[in-house]
Amino acid sequence: MEKVISVCPYCGSGCKLNLLVENGTVVGAEPANGVTNEGELCLKGYFGWDFINDTKLLTPRLKQPMIRRQRGGEFEAVSWDEAISYASSRLQEIKAKHGSDAIMCTGSSRGPGNESNYVMQKFARAVIGTNNIDCCARVCHGPSVAGLQVTLGNGAMSNSICEIEDSKCILVFGYNPADSHPIVARRILKAKEKGAKVIVCDPRFIETARLADMWLPLHNGSNMALVNAFANVLIEENLYKQDYVARYTEGFEDYRALVSKYTPEYVETITGLPAQQIREAMRVYAAAPSATILWGMGVTQWGQAVDVVKGLSGLALLTGNLGRPNVGVGPVRGQNNVQGACDVGMLPNQFPGYQHVSDEAASAKFAKAWGVPELSKRVGFSLTDVPHVVQEGKLKAYYIFGEDPAQTEPDLETMRQAFEKLEFIIVQDIFMTKTAMFADVILPATSWGEHDGVYSSADRGFQRFYKAAEPKGNVKPDWEIFSLMATAMGYPMKYRDTREIWDEMIALCPLYTGATYDKLAGLGYVQWPCPTEDHPGTPWLYKDNKFDTASGKGLLFAAEWRAPLEQVDAEYPLGLCTVREVGHYSCRSMTGNCSALQTLADEPGYVQIHPDNAAKLGLQDQQLAWIASRRGKVIARVAVNERVNAGTVYMTYQWWIGACNELTIEHLDPISKTPEYKHCAVRVEAIDDQLWAENYVQQEYSQLKARLRHAATV
Amino acid sequence: MMNRFVIAEPDKCIGCRTCEIACALAHPVGAIAAPLTPATFAPRLTVVKGMKISTPVLCRHCEDAPCVNVCPNGAIVYRQNSVQVLQDRCVGCKTCMVACPYGAMNVVARPAAQPAAGYATTHAIKAEVQKCDLCVDHAGGPACIPSCPTKALHLVDRNTMDAARKSRQERAALDMTNGRLF
Repeated sequence: MEKVISVCPYCGSGCKLNLLVENGTVVGAEPANGVTNEGELCLKGYFGWDFINDTKLLTPRLKQPMIRRQRGGEFEAVSWDEAISYASSRLQEIKAKHGSDAIMCTGSSRGPGNESNYVMQKFARAVIGTNNIDCCARVCHGPSVAGLQVTLGNGAMSNSICEIEDSKCILVFGYNPADSHPIVARRILKAKEKGAKVIVCDPRFIETARLADMWLPLHNGSNMALVNAFANVLIEENLYKQDYVARYTEGFEDYRALVSKYTPEYVETITGLPAQQIREAMRVYAAAPSATILWGMGVTQWGQAVDVVKGLSGLALLTGNLGRPNVGVGPVRGQNNVQGACDVGMLPNQFPGYQHVSDEAASAKFAKAWGVPELSKRVGFSLTDVPHVVQEGKLKAYYIFGEDPAQTEPDLETMRQAFEKLEFIIVQDIFMTKTAMFADVILPATSWGEHDGVYSSADRGFQRFYKAAEPKGNVKPDWEIFSLMATAMGYPMKYRDTREIWDEMIALCPLYTGATYDKLAGLGYVQWPCPTEDHPGTPWLYKDNKFDTASGKGLLFAAEWRAPLEQVDAEYPLGLCTVREVGHYSCRSMTGNCSALQTLADEPGYVQIHPDNAAKLGLQDQQLAWIASRRGKVIARVAVNERVNAGTVYMTYQWWIGACNELTIEHLDPISKTPEYKHCAVRVEAIDDQLWAENYVQQEYSQLKARLRHAATV
Repeated sequence: MMNRFVIAEPDKCIGCRTCEIACALAHPVGAIAAPLTPATFAPRLTVVKGMKISTPVLCRHCEDAPCVNVCPNGAIVYRQNSVQVLQDRCVGCKTCMVACPYGAMNVVARPAAQPAAGYATTHAIKAEVQKCDLCVDHAGGPACIPSCPTKALHLVDRNTMDAARKSRQERAALDMTNGRLF
């Protein structure tokens, strides 16, 4: 048995593992002693590898290029030459007719790795000539990047995952580590054992609330009010570090003026929290010699998200909890390489290494390196712009790389209408997904385990992962497919391997220049910034309290609280909040094809509801029920759960039958354009004929699976 | 000698159920190494989540075990400092399930081929009681323990218990405020 070093392809914890390979087939996984995981894995790391072998439990691997020449027709298998020639000529036509900005590309924050993402954005920018490129950070931690870039200058976690356990106070805000990042949850447990105070702000009694010193069950949608009240307490009770604020921050007077209204007493009705509890939480946070704030989707997936991120960074600035070890702000990135996709320029406004597309010098540098006269300086469309710009007729073609928007975007009906209206769709993936069913061309890629590369973990750590097995089927690594497409479109592109791509990329990005392949070999772990080869990398940012903003100071910023868009009413009396399932990941094309993970949790998924709401609606635990919003109606299994607050129900977003994104609303944060996945109004209806409902679920599920299987096996 | 048992520290459990899968894979139903399916997913420990608790629950390997005492067919025995089941003696009467205060016993009936009058009949049923067997047939010991990402599960034997008892006695001795009563 051979052991091949890899990095887990699910969450952003960056767990190193060994893939166990026998006769060219991956047969298991075991933990390796990585920096963040220290020889531990969660269930996805241990049991999340068998999708590589095309188990077909949910949906089959794509094994050959396919074209559908007519919408509604069947796919036909074609050679790579034909697929590339067809796809590239259609893109050329659209570019000639409607211009470069009529084409949009996505990044993939999962298996492909940084190199393929770098090549994809190069293809979009240098070959197509557009900044219309974006990745799923948009629907995830986009607000963290946008907010922190303004207040602190850097959109990533300020400190490392391993530092969490030595922090003396951990403020967990809108983040459920046990389900999202079990290996980060482990660090919080260790911190607690070492005497840290833990404060949890979450409407649900999440696992971390069990060990917390304080649990603040705020009302859904009251984040900004609570964060402003936190700032109010720090300032008015004189708990903040005046000297630090004077020397290293700016904007204090405006900030103070705005938060002055948000006394704990004032926000009691908005947040549902006793003023005393809010005060107490800040007294604990401010008293700690070192304090860390961790947040997740509970902060970012709201119509008001960027403001809250800025507000949270303000708490760290007020108390001087930045610029040293074991402190800081931690937007714990979701997917294994969503940090990486952002790092290498899968953003409509930034080149690789966070260099702005409108920056003359940066633009000239990339144009020269890529051998083109100039690059577009127009900021591109974001992922969540797509349905709108399609309807407006501005976008004609969509090159979707390793994403499943037909499962993961809000208000899926709107997304499907956009797909139908687009003139041309390319899907490059490893699985037949609901999105791939809309494609005109399908380009099959190699999977995690079948190629080399580098991922960036949530705490800016570059780590290499290695090819463990030869791919089965007529598939190619993503970067090779982009090179073929570029060449066919008149831009000769050829790379030998991922190292060559990496070297090109780091030479163009001062933040990464020193993080060479050799330095990352084996279990190597280098956190950017790493400007030179002798630089060890940067576990924590903002040394000497010098921030990466134009002035070098941290910006204190507050905004007025805005309520969520869709209020509950008599017709739709419950809030719906979308959350995570520990054993599945994102659209579930990978975990749904893993035997153990699929066994643990399968369709139609659960709607978690408080016992009081369930009793009133006549809902029994484990029964099937309808959940309806103004946008759709889906069936799911009732989980009566005392840990969730009354008035709001919770669903996880990876199910096909219980697809909560049929219900969610497309209300976006005005700055980051991140959807308000965390709140819309729904009603839950009991179903009298449970036998019918069980059959309905089975039937719908089998039909959908059969349809995808049929489409993939031409 | 005391029976050994596996127990969890609820404070460390994050409810992720990694242990359930590790246990199910260590106790395959049907063909060894076949992928898990809902039909073959039979972990001998269950993660219980209540309002204030998350923790796996499993057999305590009692010294005076109700399951051993009540089994009418002598199918449950003390072996290797643990409580083990002799599956070929189990008739599926479920008395052990009724008796066990921890809910650790699970009786299942599976289709099985059984010889009858010299022929193998395929429509026979074999009852089986599933419970934690401490993975006594596995070289690495209980499979759940190393799988836990927060190291919440522990194997407890006489030595562990003695050490815990001793340290608690010492703590009690240092903390004898009741002396002030007199």
